Amino acid sequence: MGLFDGLFKKKEDGIIIGSPADGECISISKVNDPTFAEEILGKGIAVIPQSDKVAAPADGIVTMVFPTGHAFTMETKDGVELLVHIGIDTVKLEGKFFTKKVSDGTQVKKGDLIIEADFDQIKAAGYDTTIPVVVCNTADFADVQSVAEGTVTTAQDVIKIQK
Amino acid sequence: MKQFTYKVTDELGIHARPAGLLVKEAAKFQSSIKIKNGTKEADAKRLLNVMTLAVKQGNTVTVAADGADEADAVKTLEAFFKANL
Repeated sequence: MGLFDGLFKKKEDGIIIGSPADGECISISKVNDPTFAEEILGKGIAVIPQSDKVAAPADGIVTMVFPTGHAFTMETKDGVELLVHIGIDTVKLEGKFFTKKVSDGTQVKKGDLIIEADFDQIKAAGYDTTIPVVVCNTADFADVQSVAEGTVTTAQDVIKIQK
Repeated sequence: MKQFTYKVTDELGIHARPAGLLVKEAAKFQSSIKIKNGTKEADAKRLLNVMTLAVKQGNTVTVAADGADEADAVKTLEAFFKANL
């Protein structure tokens, strides 16, 4: 990331959302849960994580960390409402294996650690660890598209949004 | 305005999936639809708003619709709550 990256992004006039984790970025349609795969919650992407750190995908305010730590919501400085859902059906773990690192209302920067998840334990408990990242207010934008597939690192561009 | 109250019996409360389905139902109506949980109120058509209510099992929520199709909206949403929550 250099000076010119910032300049080019501004010129393109799109809003960029980053990956919440190191891992493999996949199409949300491949998520093993129709709520996400059929885009009922909105458009987005998903990341199969390879480390235990789940980070903010953009600058903004963490509007809510679920009491169970399995998901959080954010409003970015550009008005994008994001849901980051860690694992599939992990609400049923009732907080086990998730450690919240920020509280509701915290102002964060892209890449800041939000939740630590013990993915080995989550997998051992029989859960899919895929992390869908959803633009909840998809209808407020002209276009929401995935711009990554395959290996990604935290904060790497994964979604591009046009106002 | 028309409204109903409902006590949530689902043990996981209104988490991401039911919130998404609820917003989808609410979006079918022109009426403005609000959900109240204690002192917190949310626009039923905005997913993040609904999730921020953090509705848990045992909470009693009030759903109120205001507009041309308010009667239909309340009927449909009451059926949705009974079937899903």
